[in-house]
Amino acid sequence: MKPRISLSALSRRSFLRTGAGAAALVGLAGSTVRAAPAAAAARPNPWAYDLRGFERTDPKLIQYRELRRFSCGRGEARRLALGPDNRLWVAVGNYACAFSETGNPVAEIPFSNPVRCVAISAEGEVVVGLRDHLEVFDADGRRQAVWESPGKKTWFTGLAVAKDAVFAADSGQRVVLRYDRTGRLRGRIGGKDPDRGIPGLVLPSPYLDVELHPDGLLRLNNAGRHKVEAYTFTGDLAVSWGKPTMGIEGFCGCCNPVGLTLLPDGRFITCEKGLPRVKVYSLHGEFEGVVAGVESFPQNARVGTGDAPGEGVRASLDAVADRAGRIFILDTITGEIRLMVRNESA
Amino acid sequence: MPDVPSPTPPPVNRRQFLRDGTRLAAMTGLGALIGLAATRTSAARGYVWQINPARCVYCGNCATACVLKPSAVKCVQSYPICGYCDLCTGYFVPEPNGLNTGAENQVCPTAAIERKFIEDPYYEYNIDEDLCIGCAKCVEGCTRFGNGSFYLQVRHDRCLNCNECSIARVCAGDAFRRVPLTDPYVIKTTAHE
Repeated sequence: MKPRISLSALSRRSFLRTGAGAAALVGLAGSTVRAAPAAAAARPNPWAYDLRGFERTDPKLIQYRELRRFSCGRGEARRLALGPDNRLWVAVGNYACAFSETGNPVAEIPFSNPVRCVAISAEGEVVVGLRDHLEVFDADGRRQAVWESPGKKTWFTGLAVAKDAVFAADSGQRVVLRYDRTGRLRGRIGGKDPDRGIPGLVLPSPYLDVELHPDGLLRLNNAGRHKVEAYTFTGDLAVSWGKPTMGIEGFCGCCNPVGLTLLPDGRFITCEKGLPRVKVYSLHGEFEGVVAGVESFPQNARVGTGDAPGEGVRASLDAVADRAGRIFILDTITGEIRLMVRNESA
Repeated sequence: MPDVPSPTPPPVNRRQFLRDGTRLAAMTGLGALIGLAATRTSAARGYVWQINPARCVYCGNCATACVLKPSAVKCVQSYPICGYCDLCTGYFVPEPNGLNTGAENQVCPTAAIERKFIEDPYYEYNIDEDLCIGCAKCVEGCTRFGNGSFYLQVRHDRCLNCNECSIARVCAGDAFRRVPLTDPYVIKTTAHE
């Protein structure tokens, strides 16, 4: 015979005890189910792309310190230039903006398309590079000329202005175009030409830069070959230097350096992306020291890593040096410009 | 010549009118039913899991959390974006001994990336999906230094389309989304912008 179950036999105490036990079990099961994804997400990644060994700079190599920094106030900063009046011009968003060296905005030229690069002539003329053409403005920001686009593939990313010429780095066509000051195309520099011993520019990403060296030659960054190359104005390759390595003495990743500038004595300042760092090289291309290492650009360095998803191709640096040898660095991720001065001990 | 009056069309009688009207209504109804059925079918089964590459943080969970072994997530290559680099940071470890196909030089733990010479100094990189485990190590190398032409995608010829995707539950970047079956892949086409 079945025993009769008497509800009155369940005391309040045993009811509460049983209920509390059941609730605890349910809670434990629920928290386990919820914690499983969190635990999996927090598990160390056995396939991490490990660059920790290259992200620290030997302090003995750092020759500069930061004096100050300011924001250029807009997103999508790309290139930096210095005018003869020490105004800093920034290609940022759809603007070419000028700042004093302390960061006060002093001029602004708006465009309907992104500004890719900017350069200032000795007379103060402002040459602005948009994706496929150049525009020239007087020192007061009045438009003087719009130059014809050289081609559909054109992607201007760097500019240099000489007394009689404008050199425009066209990463889309993988050449530097030489214009006269009226906008007439006079030559192409850096294109592949085996007969002249020119290997050609390799530019996986749009970062071709051009600088006028005091020795009378142009300097280009052949990023895909990890080299800085010197060309005559007529397009002959004179010399090149640089080597690929994640180590501090060379150029890292697939395509670096992304930016070039010159110190008053002709030594080189190079900018890299991926491992964002700015370094000094001698006239002959020997590594001399570091202006700012990876740890100086924490946000920039995280782009394209697991910490900050996004396209690493957008994260770069650019630099200019003034007549005193001080270096201004533009961080394209933070939009900040830093003034770096040489350590007395360096 | 006197005008000859054109013959007038015979009047539509009530029976004809009702018959034609009924036919038209039946056809319209049938079309609407077919349309509704088609829509209902795609609404019920019309979404699949996919990874938004802009949110991917290369956590490695795609390789381990999928119910399939190897995972249904694979690295894919966007050829229009690829720089065809000699020193591809998606293919080579950060400091390779040499730019060759030696196992010690390769980022990929399963050697799923084929390196093929095109012309000096360009190389093409192809993914062998049978070998790829979806770990994203190459994706991080490519995205950090290069143009981001390598990225992860759920391959729908393999994916079981589980109602509750086990990778989506643990995705560290919250990159998994349901996307319409009619548009099941994210196609990266440009690196310059």
